[in-house]
Amino acid sequence: MSHDLRQPDDDDPVIMTVDQRSVWAYLTVVLITSTAYFVVVIPRALSQPIEDVSWIAPMLWAIGASIVGTIVGSIFGSIGGAIGLAIRGIEPKGQLEGDLRDKDIKRLGDRRGALISGGAMFGVLVLAMIGADAFWIGNLVFLAGTVGALVEGVTKILAYRRGF
Amino acid sequence: MPPKPTKVTNQVRALRFESGEMTQADLAERLKVTRQTVIAIEQGKYSPSLEMAFEIARVFKRPLDDVFQYAAGGTDDQPSS
Repeated sequence: MSHDLRQPDDDDPVIMTVDQRSVWAYLTVVLITSTAYFVVVIPRALSQPIEDVSWIAPMLWAIGASIVGTIVGSIFGSIGGAIGLAIRGIEPKGQLEGDLRDKDIKRLGDRRGALISGGAMFGVLVLAMIGADAFWIGNLVFLAGTVGALVEGVTKILAYRRGF
Repeated sequence: MPPKPTKVTNQVRALRFESGEMTQADLAERLKVTRQTVIAIEQGKYSPSLEMAFEIARVFKRPLDDVFQYAAGGTDDQPSS
């Protein structure tokens, strides 16, 4: 079967690499699942004693949905990118795979995200030392993970769009 | 918000045109990077590694200084008076 896919011209639109698509998927999914979690748990925490609040199941669902959603979103994003290129007659090979720049951006984002998450662990330590309810410890860890993920994602997107 | 400038400027775009209208995709293929990275370098949004900078200069058969310039002040070779 012959195919007449071409290399992109300078005038062709710039497409996102698989890595960048994964960042968008990660950022979007974490935002949705974390918001959903807090929408469920905060009203419970406000309406009953903290030790009675059921938070473990919603948190496990949020974490599981974040992992699955990011994987599925990344796969669909990559397939969508390849299809979009093929429709325009552009050879997808060499356009979607990440390279050194993607690795540099990943390193930058991971480092900033880890700073936030790691810093919050001091708060967790303090809560454990004063014997705080497991609700507060678990939720501070979750919140730190969420904020760290958002900082990581936004850092990467800004690096892709504005440079670094 | 405007792109975050790097201190390294370059002549990659001009040198591509001097080299027989080489496209971004052609240069990317020779450097084994994505076209996005070539565009980011040309727009000053990404400073390549030293290794990649030498690779780019080699593609254009030019010394590194012809391709990349470092615009930071305070390190000029001019003698102080």
